Amino acid sequence: MAAPTSLERKICWSARDKLWQCLDDNGGRVESCQTFQSDFEAKCPAQWVKYFTKRRDFLKYKEKMQTEGFTPAEGPKES
Amino acid sequence: KHVSDINPRSVVTPLGRSLQPGLGRSLQPGLGRSLQPGLGRSLQPGLGRSLQPGLGRSLQPGLGRRWPHQQTQKRFLSQDPDPSKARLKLRTRLLVSLLCGCGLLAAWWYVDSEKQQKLRMQRIKQLRKAAVGQGTFSLLDHTGRRRTKQDFLGSWNPLMPPVQPIFITVDPERDDVASLARYVKDFHPRLIGLTGSLEEVEHAGRDYRVYASPGPKDEDGDYIVDHTILIYLVSPDGLFLDYYNRMKSQDQIVDSVRNHMKNYTRLS
Repeated sequence: MAAPTSLERKICWSARDKLWQCLDDNGGRVESCQTFQSDFEAKCPAQWVKYFTKRRDFLKYKEKMQTEGFTPAEGPKES
Repeated sequence: KHVSDINPRSVVTPLGRSLQPGLGRSLQPGLGRSLQPGLGRSLQPGLGRSLQPGLGRSLQPGLGRRWPHQQTQKRFLSQDPDPSKARLKLRTRLLVSLLCGCGLLAAWWYVDSEKQQKLRMQRIKQLRKAAVGQGTFSLLDHTGRRRTKQDFLGSWNPLMPPVQPIFITVDPERDDVASLARYVKDFHPRLIGLTGSLEEVEHAGRDYRVYASPGPKDEDGDYIVDHTILIYLVSPDGLFLDYYNRMKSQDQIVDSVRNHMKNYTRLS
């Protein structure tokens, strides 16, 4: 399969941005953004959908760490 | 007097010392006062008064007290040259201070530019040691023509465009010549895309310390490739000069390249 052209890339990114905007507005609930989700999945290659979904999770996690702080997990207790 | 009779120290030291406040007194005792901040005074031949001890105050305006009473009266009646002399002294003082200031600034600027030069030489040495992009590559461009690193060496001169954009794929399995031709079309017309066999591309990747890792294939055989995202700036003689990551804006990169070009021609 051929790689997406510049135009196809731009269409995919735009669909992703619209989906992420919707998720930001709805507190991350996918149910409220179904139209955007299906549009995004239609316009982006499958591998990119997987990658961008993981990327969003990572960015949200990073944001959480930067705002709420980080509590290290407890190590094994010494006996 | 023969030249050798003149002790150079006696010529240099007073001048050197006169630029430092507070050391006036270490020179000829009678001149102690004339070397204080009103530096101009000691350079005025007409101010013979400053060379006589005990008359230090004679240079201040309103010194009527020192003079006989009659003479003070006379001075008020005729054109009083003292104010213009005072103005002249001030102007001269300002001019001399300005010249000294400029001299200091020039000295600082010279020393600083020497330091910058040294830092640049150090960095060049470090980059040479890192040896990124040493060696040579042999790849196919997006028109199917074979290119080696030698083809891109040259010089930064006003006749040629200074930057040749080059793109080397990290996924030669899918990015053949035709795919690259489609891809580079969307970018600058001078952009050259390079690909080749897996060994050739891996060799170039090693030379430039590029990390690339194809991901797992899905049911369509599609996969994404994880890789370093960097733009390298290479000098006309093949030396690695700088790199730019995704955080660098267009303007930042342009400024950096311009800076490298300016410094590069000066060193070579």
